[in-house]
Amino acid sequence: MAQRIKLGLIGCLLCFVLLAAGGGSIGGYAQSHDAAGARAAFLEAYKVFAHPRCVNCHPAGDAPLQGDDGHPHAFRVRRGEDGRGVFAAKCSNCHQTQNQSGEHAAPGAPYPPEDREHLSEPRWHLPSSATPLTFEKRSPAQLCRQLLNRKQNGGLAPEQLVHHVSHDPLVLWGWNPGGGRSTPPLSHEDFVQKIREWVEKGCACPK
Amino acid sequence: MKQITFNVNGKPVTVEAEPEKPLLWVLREDLGLTGAKYGCGMALCGCCTVHLNGDAIRSCVTPFSRVEGKSVTTIEGLSPDLSHPVQRAWLETQTPQCGYCQPGQMMSAACLLAQKANPTDADIDDAMSGNLCRCGTYSRIRKAIHRAAEIAASHRGRK
Amino acid sequence: MNETIISRRFFLTTAVAASGGLLIGSTLRPEMLGAAATQPSATNFPLNAPLNAPFNARLNAPLNAWIRISANDEVTLISSQSEMGQGAMTTLPAILAEELCADWSRVKIEFSPVEPAYRNPRINWQFTGNSESTTGFFDLLQTMGASAREMLVAAAANRWGVKPEECYADNGKIIHKPSERALKFGEIAEDAAKAPPPQNPKLKRQSEWKLLGRPLARVELPAKLNGEAVFGIDFILPGMVHAAVMQCPVHSGAISSFDKDSVMKLPGLIDVVPIPNGIAVVAKHYWQAGQALKSLKLSIDGGANSDVSSETLEKQYRAALDGDVWKTVRTEGQGLRGEEMTGKFAEVFSQEYESQFLAHATMEPMNCTASVTDDSCTIWGPLQGPELAKLTLSGMLKLPPEKVSINRTLLGGGFGRRLLVDFVVQAALVSRVVGKPVKVVWSREEDIQHDVYRPATLHRVTAGLDKSGKPAALAHKLVSPSILQFVYGPAVTEDNDPSCLEGLMETHYEIPSQRVDFKLLKVGVPTSVLRTTGYGPNIFAVESFIDELAAKAEQDPYEFRRGLSKDERSLKVLETLVEKSDWKKRPAKGVARGMAYTEAFRTHIAHVVELSVKDNSVRIHRITCVIDCGVALDPEITKNSIEGGAVWGLGVAFKSNISFKHGRTVESNFHNYKIAQMDETPPIEVHIVNSSAKGLGGTGEVGPVTLIPAVTNAIFAATGKRYRSLPLSRHGLKLV
Repeated sequence: MAQRIKLGLIGCLLCFVLLAAGGGSIGGYAQSHDAAGARAAFLEAYKVFAHPRCVNCHPAGDAPLQGDDGHPHAFRVRRGEDGRGVFAAKCSNCHQTQNQSGEHAAPGAPYPPEDREHLSEPRWHLPSSATPLTFEKRSPAQLCRQLLNRKQNGGLAPEQLVHHVSHDPLVLWGWNPGGGRSTPPLSHEDFVQKIREWVEKGCACPK
Repeated sequence: MKQITFNVNGKPVTVEAEPEKPLLWVLREDLGLTGAKYGCGMALCGCCTVHLNGDAIRSCVTPFSRVEGKSVTTIEGLSPDLSHPVQRAWLETQTPQCGYCQPGQMMSAACLLAQKANPTDADIDDAMSGNLCRCGTYSRIRKAIHRAAEIAASHRGRK
Repeated sequence: MNETIISRRFFLTTAVAASGGLLIGSTLRPEMLGAAATQPSATNFPLNAPLNAPFNARLNAPLNAWIRISANDEVTLISSQSEMGQGAMTTLPAILAEELCADWSRVKIEFSPVEPAYRNPRINWQFTGNSESTTGFFDLLQTMGASAREMLVAAAANRWGVKPEECYADNGKIIHKPSERALKFGEIAEDAAKAPPPQNPKLKRQSEWKLLGRPLARVELPAKLNGEAVFGIDFILPGMVHAAVMQCPVHSGAISSFDKDSVMKLPGLIDVVPIPNGIAVVAKHYWQAGQALKSLKLSIDGGANSDVSSETLEKQYRAALDGDVWKTVRTEGQGLRGEEMTGKFAEVFSQEYESQFLAHATMEPMNCTASVTDDSCTIWGPLQGPELAKLTLSGMLKLPPEKVSINRTLLGGGFGRRLLVDFVVQAALVSRVVGKPVKVVWSREEDIQHDVYRPATLHRVTAGLDKSGKPAALAHKLVSPSILQFVYGPAVTEDNDPSCLEGLMETHYEIPSQRVDFKLLKVGVPTSVLRTTGYGPNIFAVESFIDELAAKAEQDPYEFRRGLSKDERSLKVLETLVEKSDWKKRPAKGVARGMAYTEAFRTHIAHVVELSVKDNSVRIHRITCVIDCGVALDPEITKNSIEGGAVWGLGVAFKSNISFKHGRTVESNFHNYKIAQMDETPPIEVHIVNSSAKGLGGTGEVGPVTLIPAVTNAIFAATGKRYRSLPLSRHGLKLV
């Protein structure tokens, strides 16, 4: 009996160590350690991260991208320090709280409804230049490590990542982009499912 | 239809219009401020640029509802007497040709100078490349922005 | 308490409406030109100068059709030409003021009505275009100003009882030199107006000019800087309603049916009115009309052009160029055809060049305001062709011409598009149906898709070369649709259109045998005048070809061109260009230069473009331009125009293109009809050679003409690749 308890304690400790190494705390999620399962789930989710609807606002360079061919945004628009554009070319100067009608018309997204302060303000921006959270040209391994790095991902713990991809209006926009734009290869539901699975199985990253 | 109260060129205004009506048409039709222009209706040309709480927004795509309780400045409100450094510089350099795009150009330029007193040519590229000019006055606009920066600096020097 | 603050202008408009007056909106805007903060300038223009209305000679004496002087010393100068950014409403009145010796800081300027007195003397037709404003009116306005001056001098001398030779005019006064007595123009104008105009008034020498030949503050600029300037789209008339229009998307097709009920319940809706090839939705406010138009249920009948596409047009052009139906429009010397050159020269060299369909895309889309009653029609709008408008409306509405009144606002760009009157006709027809003043405004999509395009051209140039590679014979085969058809019909015949041939009918290159064969192509898309008209595509071909010959002969492009010309003015322009552009100095590593020269619109012009090419990205470092337009009446306006012309040319060279599919225009807004931007514009230097040549040259549209081939010639110098069709985006090149 004592031996089992000891093993159990060691097991928990191991889990804890592994989880700590993975950068996250647990809190509310059934955690298992299934590295293979986690990696597989992440690779599925990666198909969404690599899609233009996501990559275009997580670019490697200083300019957001446009279109399925990922060309630089028209009119020399660029990130700026806070990710919200510069001077007379700030994102919310043109982008509104919803998609504008017509092909090539500027898309838009709102703040979450609980954010009363920003009720009529567009929520359209890139990550800041200090924490660009680049998706463009990132391998699954690189992207995974980046997403778990709280210094890069806006300070989010893994279960907060699940919440983010479930509810954030900018993420949701990817599946409602307007103007005939293509949507990611997984449905939003499936994508969230895969992220949740990845977290629940211990957040292991592909090699 | 909705009654929305906001501030235009320093004065409070209440206008009743469709909340989704673009601000551009509220300004031009409901308020008779025809300085902001219609050029494309898709935020591609910048002729409709006005300031919303100091930001250079494209009023042709900004829904009227977005301005509630906020402050809008149009070209008519840049100064009462052409004394804004941007206007003075545009006049000095005789920048406009047909002039249709120039209110938008000036509003974008004013926004740039409010954020950076001495912009570089690269800053001007970043701030102004979305304001189109069919007459091609870009090189004059560039000179005028540098000149406006000088004029603004001399104003500050005098204070 | 909230105050409702409306602009003063708007307040005045509604106040008049409330009082029941039907005053013209324009007269309610005393600050239409605004107050100049730093410069005195001519102010205030009511939009209609009713010269044929009764006037009180004592109060407002017209000395001639161009000059009125009131008893309280207000000098009003009339501008016959529309103002679209080319400075016509400053420079042309300045010619009058110069000879008149008026006080320029106090003159008022009005636009003329449509009257024979204001016609361009060359073709006896009132229009603004073809770079003819200064060239067409300079002599006439000099004479009119001088004539009025001499009438004032004579009247003053008569009042004083002295000899006219002892008097002179200066800055708004007549002065008697010996006694130093002076009379203001206003004090003597009524007397002056009674006298007959002198036969041969003495004109100033250029050395005596005080206004001309130097930069003047443009009179309408203050209003363009504070939002007060009134373009057609800004015009407000009490009681007016708005119309959004849609023409059949297939060119020359029809709206076969529409369901009025599908929109009549929408906010502000007034009516749905058929217009030629289209439909107008009329509402209280423009935005309401535009929204309703989007929901209007309708069907279209594409008609004959439903299958027209860029591909079918290409085939049509190719068949024409390879065919044998030609009109020979020019022969010099032997006038050899390309095919006839074989065996007669050391070498025969032939190339084909292609220029694309272009849209005008004026920043202010097409619009017009009309008020039509049973017995009159009044128009306010941004027109280049007021006489065509007047005659067309007179015929269409069955009104005598005197009952049709045309008022011109400022134009937010013209480039030739506003010479046509389709948008004017629409406004008049809708106003007649709804019985109210109506402002028709085109959306940008409508404006681009129903533009009347610069026709594409396909052009074969063949030269017979001597042993040194110099051309001894030159033959052109040009295929082009009409340019003038909707704008000046009398010039166009079944197989000829002179505007299409510009730049080919004479050249300063001395080539003994020359021939131009032309095929006027009838195509299923509308074509018309657009800035640079025939010169644009033709000089692209010629200056590219000459450059190819220079490369073949392994000669410097400048030396090669020098060797072909003896014309003094041409050579001076080329020499100046070479000096100012540092042509003879080796450029930095990776940088190459190209040049082009021509005479177009009676102006000699040449460009050097300096650029680098990396992969497919072209970065332009510097543009140098030299022009000789005889005399630059206002060098600052000229420079602005030529600088702007270079930017226009960059768009044409690199990206602007109109294509067709299923009889429709593909492009619709600035995301797919692309023009140059701020960050793509390099430093541009313009140098004016003042040759004081008799006969001014036009400067409004000549700017792009040599810029474009200078770009492609520079790209050849940089890469060894020759591009013979535009825009360069079709070859994967990108302007950065």
